[in-house]
Amino acid sequence: MELSVIQIILLALYAFVAINDQIHSDFGLNRPLLAGCFAGIVMGDLAFGLTVGATLQLMVLGVSNFGGSSIPDFMSAALIGTALGVISGQGEEFGIGLAVPAGMLLVQIDVLARFANTFFQHQADKYAEEVNLKKIELMNILGVFMWGLSRAIPVFICLILGSKVVTSFVSYFPVWLSSGLKVAGGLLPAVGIAILLRYLPTKKYIPYLLMGFVLAAYLGVPMLGVAICGLALALLFYRQGGFNEAKAETGGMDDDE
Amino acid sequence: MMTNNTLTKNDLKKVRWRWYFLGEAAWNYEKMQGLGYCYSMMPVLKKLYPEKEDMKKALQTQLQFFNTHQEFAELILGIDCALEEQDGINALPTVSSVKTALMGPLASIGDTLFGVIANTIFFSIGAYMALEGNPIGIILYLIWGAVRTFLRGRFIMLGYREGTKIITTMGEKMNRLTAAAGVLGITVVGALVPSVISARVPFVFTSGEVSLELQGVLNQVMPSLIPVALVALLYWMLGKKGMSSFKAILFVMALGIVLSVLGILG
Repeated sequence: MELSVIQIILLALYAFVAINDQIHSDFGLNRPLLAGCFAGIVMGDLAFGLTVGATLQLMVLGVSNFGGSSIPDFMSAALIGTALGVISGQGEEFGIGLAVPAGMLLVQIDVLARFANTFFQHQADKYAEEVNLKKIELMNILGVFMWGLSRAIPVFICLILGSKVVTSFVSYFPVWLSSGLKVAGGLLPAVGIAILLRYLPTKKYIPYLLMGFVLAAYLGVPMLGVAICGLALALLFYRQGGFNEAKAETGGMDDDE
Repeated sequence: MMTNNTLTKNDLKKVRWRWYFLGEAAWNYEKMQGLGYCYSMMPVLKKLYPEKEDMKKALQTQLQFFNTHQEFAELILGIDCALEEQDGINALPTVSSVKTALMGPLASIGDTLFGVIANTIFFSIGAYMALEGNPIGIILYLIWGAVRTFLRGRFIMLGYREGTKIITTMGEKMNRLTAAAGVLGITVVGALVPSVISARVPFVFTSGEVSLELQGVLNQVMPSLIPVALVALLYWMLGKKGMSSFKAILFVMALGIVLSVLGILG
C-alpha cells in the first residue's frame, strides 16, 4: 500500500494550518491528539490515528513553548506516524515507534523558523525609518509562511520518502522490536505525567493527587467523572481561599480552625 | 487638517482580531512578538498619528522587544490604546514601560493557567477517551477554544476601560483562580497514572499444580503499582541536573524494549 498524492497534500496542508493555529487562535489543531485524529480520518482508520495521537499527547501534556522555547514537534509526528503506520500494515505501536524519533528530530525545524523570522523583523525596522506602513504589515504577514512551511515541508518530505521505503522496511522489522515498542508505547505516557508533576505545585497539592488516584485505580471512575470531582474540590478551595482572605482583611477574629 | 483622536469600539476590535490571527506570525528570537504587536496596533496608530514624524516615533516604540502569553496580550493592547488615545505621542514612554512591566507577570499567569493547567485537564480527558477509541473528548477542547476567543475580546475592553489598575484588581483573583485550577489539574493527573499507563506482567509461577499470576499479586499490593513506580522514578530523574524530557523519552523507550525482551512486561 502507498499513500495517494491527495492524502500527502491534505496532511501537509493540515500541518501548515495547525502551527499557525497554535500560536494564534489555539483550537488545539497543533496538539498530537487532534493531528492523529485528522490523519486517522484521512487514512480511513480513525482508531489508529486516535491511539497514536493520544499516546503522543500524553507524552507532552501541559508542555507548551514557554517564552519561545522549542519542544518536540509531536503534531507533525502524529501525522507521519499515523500515515506511515497505517500503510505499513503493522500495529499502532509501529506508528508510535516511527513518530517519537520523528518528533524529536523535527524540533530543530522550529528553531529554524523562529530564526528565519528575524529577517522580517529587521526589514520591518528598516521600513519604520521610511514610515512605510504597508511594507511593515507585509513583513508580519509573511511570517505565516515561515511557520506554515516549517511544518508542511518536513511532513511532505517524510511522507513521500516514507511511503516508498516503509513497506520494504517492515520485512526487516524483527518481532522482538515490535513487541518491545508495544510495551514502550504503554509506558510512554508516564513521561508526560512526570514532566507535568514537575511543572505543577505537586508537593503542596499531594492530597488531591492521592484522591484522583484512588478514584481511578480503586473505584474505576472514568476521567470525566474524576474531573468533575476535581472541579468540586477546586470550587471548595477557591471559596475557602476567599474566606481566609476576607478574614485576614478584617483582622482575623479567631485563629483556631 | 482635522485630527480625529477618539478611538471607537470598532478600532479596538480591529486591534483584537489582528492580534488574534497574526500576533505571533513573525515571532523571532530578537524581538519576539515585537513586529506582531506593532502590526496589531497599526489601525490605532494610523488614526492617532497623521503626521509622518509622529508615526515614525510610534512605530519605533511599538516594534521593540515584547513577549507575553498570547491570550493575555489583549489586556496590554487595551491599556496601550487608552494611553495613546489620551496623550498621543507623549504617551509613548509610558506605553513602553507599561508594556515591559506587564508582559512578565501576565506571561507567567497565562502560561500556568491556560498553558499548563487547562491543557492538562482537557487533554487528559481527550486522550483517555481517544485511547478507548472515542474521539468525542476532542470537542471539549474546541469549546474551550471558543470560550477563550470570547474572553480575549473582553480582555481588550477591560484593559481599555480600567487601565493599569485592572492588573492589581485582577491579579488577586487570578492568583486564587490559578491555585484552584491547580487543584483540579492535580486531581486529574492522579487519575491519569492508573488510567493511561499500561504495564502488565505476564509472568506466572508454577509449582506443582499451583500457579500464581505475578500481576495478580502485584494488584493485591496496590493497583497500578508499576505505573506509580515508573512515574515516581521519572519524577525523581527529571529533578536531576542534565536530565531532559528528551532523555526521559529515550530512557522509557529503551526500558520498554528491554523489559519486553526479558519477558518481564508484555
